[in-house]
Amino acid sequence: MIQINELTKIYKLTKKQMMEHKTKKNMMKAVDNISLTAKPGEIYGLLGPNGAGKTTALRCISTLLKPTEGEIKVCGYDTVKDSENVRKKIGFLTNEIKLDPQFSPRYMFDFFGKLRGLDEETIKQRREKLFAYFGINGFEDKKINELSSGMKQKASIAVSLIHDPEVIIFDEPTTGLDIVTARSVTDYLKLMKDQGKTVIISTHIMTEAEKLCDKIGIIIKGQLTLEGSLEEILTETNTKDLEDAFFELYKQHNKEEA
Amino acid sequence: MEGTKNIIKKELTRVFTDKKLIVSLFILPGVLIMVMYSIMGSLISNLQEDIETHTPIICIKNAPEDLMNFIEANKYEADITYLSSTDTVDDIKEKILKGDTDLLVVFEEGFMDTIQNYSKIGDPIPEVKTFYNPSEDYSGAARSNFIAEVLNPYQQSLLAQRLDNIELLQVFYIDLDPEASIILDEDKAGGKFFAMLLPFLINIMLFQGAMGLGVDTITGEKERGTIASMLLSPIKRSQIVFGKLISLGILTALSSVIYTVSVVIGIKNLSGGDTDQMMAIKFTPVEIIQLFVIIIAMVYLYVAMVALVAVYARTQKEASTYVTPLYILVMLGSIMTMFSSGGGDKGLEYYAIPIYNGSVTIQNLLVGELTMAQFGVTLGSLALIAILLTTLITKAFNSERVMFNA
Repeated sequence: MIQINELTKIYKLTKKQMMEHKTKKNMMKAVDNISLTAKPGEIYGLLGPNGAGKTTALRCISTLLKPTEGEIKVCGYDTVKDSENVRKKIGFLTNEIKLDPQFSPRYMFDFFGKLRGLDEETIKQRREKLFAYFGINGFEDKKINELSSGMKQKASIAVSLIHDPEVIIFDEPTTGLDIVTARSVTDYLKLMKDQGKTVIISTHIMTEAEKLCDKIGIIIKGQLTLEGSLEEILTETNTKDLEDAFFELYKQHNKEEA
Repeated sequence: MEGTKNIIKKELTRVFTDKKLIVSLFILPGVLIMVMYSIMGSLISNLQEDIETHTPIICIKNAPEDLMNFIEANKYEADITYLSSTDTVDDIKEKILKGDTDLLVVFEEGFMDTIQNYSKIGDPIPEVKTFYNPSEDYSGAARSNFIAEVLNPYQQSLLAQRLDNIELLQVFYIDLDPEASIILDEDKAGGKFFAMLLPFLINIMLFQGAMGLGVDTITGEKERGTIASMLLSPIKRSQIVFGKLISLGILTALSSVIYTVSVVIGIKNLSGGDTDQMMAIKFTPVEIIQLFVIIIAMVYLYVAMVALVAVYARTQKEASTYVTPLYILVMLGSIMTMFSSGGGDKGLEYYAIPIYNGSVTIQNLLVGELTMAQFGVTLGSLALIAILLTTLITKAFNSERVMFNA
């Protein structure tokens, strides 16, 4: 269970970052007063364009960033006060977090297993299961820097799931994957959902959100503009598919801002 | 501590399974240091040998008649040209300037007459002038040898002729047997040369090791995005920091051992195999423990210094730039001990200055003068600063701004 309560995240910008963002303000609100709940046995999808604040929100859930305002609870643990317990419960995957290229997927898997306090036997069982599922066996002993980006992504996914986490947080999990591997990842997430785990993903791929998510939250410029099941969103926006719904909301939001 | 142990194991595996890293971190610098010192050694000994075997080219003007016989009788070997009083010496001086001739010796006109006519105080005393070029090794050596082997004995012989009994000039002797006069603590004397050199070398080598490794394992990992995966593990950030620092410390200590051994082998070649001085350094068991403890503390200090800079830097290039002033600081701290004969006479407060204290403590150990109080103050100060640095690094590891540029 993930409960986000009025989460706001403000970044202080350096002069260089201010120039990059073409702004004169030295603060940037990446996430603006978001509240949402992701329940066990459910896949929650955060949908939004690049820079909308999806990754920041997920990083806050995974304890890597601290909320500027508001609070987040994962399985009842506060992400700031009880971050270690939160980290025990979650499996987090994001593009910017990488595995040491000097090692093989197998070494990395075992290393993070030990770091999470798992015993040899459990690590072995989990490795056999996950490596077989994601087809890592063929390259498990190759150095990560010799692998293709798809292979690296598979290895990262396996490592993030090593401890069979209760809560799965995947930031754009199918980016860079071929259609077959992407399917195996989404199938695995469904499997996790069926096992009663809480899954939250971010994506900008509409069809992925449509097919996979039980609940969708649309984020535009840091704000959660609409939340609900696919049907609820389509009814609310009076559209036929998610892409139309998204653009409808995008237009509305920009109009309000203007 | 299980987390720390796992991280140490991973960090060491990372280095020792990478052949390129082993070569660039340990083997290449070691070999280079050894080769550098050996080449320096052979060049110096070649130079000395060359000067010793060179036959000096000397011109002597107005030489007294018996000088030639005197030179032959003394078996002084040189290529000597005798000039008469009408010969000019300008072209010879030009040759000395160019290095073609080594020495010009000019006896005063009527040299022998002036000497023989001397009878009372105030009578003229003749002069022998030498012209040489101190920037030419051959020329400098030719002059000092000529004075020592020809002019001084010649003067003695003339004195003997004048006085009949030359012992009249000798009121007393000083040290007829100079060897017997030396009362020496061999340990201390042996340590002295290395007490000057070793603390400097140890300091520099330790810091160099920490510098190369620290930037890669911290800033490098930050840049590559691999450190974040560790931050997601349910262990305390301090455990990650300790894991990083201890593994860095082990690698730094190892590299500095290799570098120091290379320097010692190099110096052995440099001094033509004469390492008696080094062998003469003897330690008591307590001193060995003290040395070990101090070096461990210094390794940790340097590793922590580099790590602190590395964790704040965004790129490896930036980190290398930031580390340079620290390197200069370490050099300064250790150079200060090179030009003093140990800190034995210094107040205890000097032993509280980090970097300098490590260096001066090792120096005192080598000459066997380290007191327990000095050792205690040094260790206390190093431990204090190590705790401070570790706290700052842990804080940085907890800071999202530092770790994720957020």
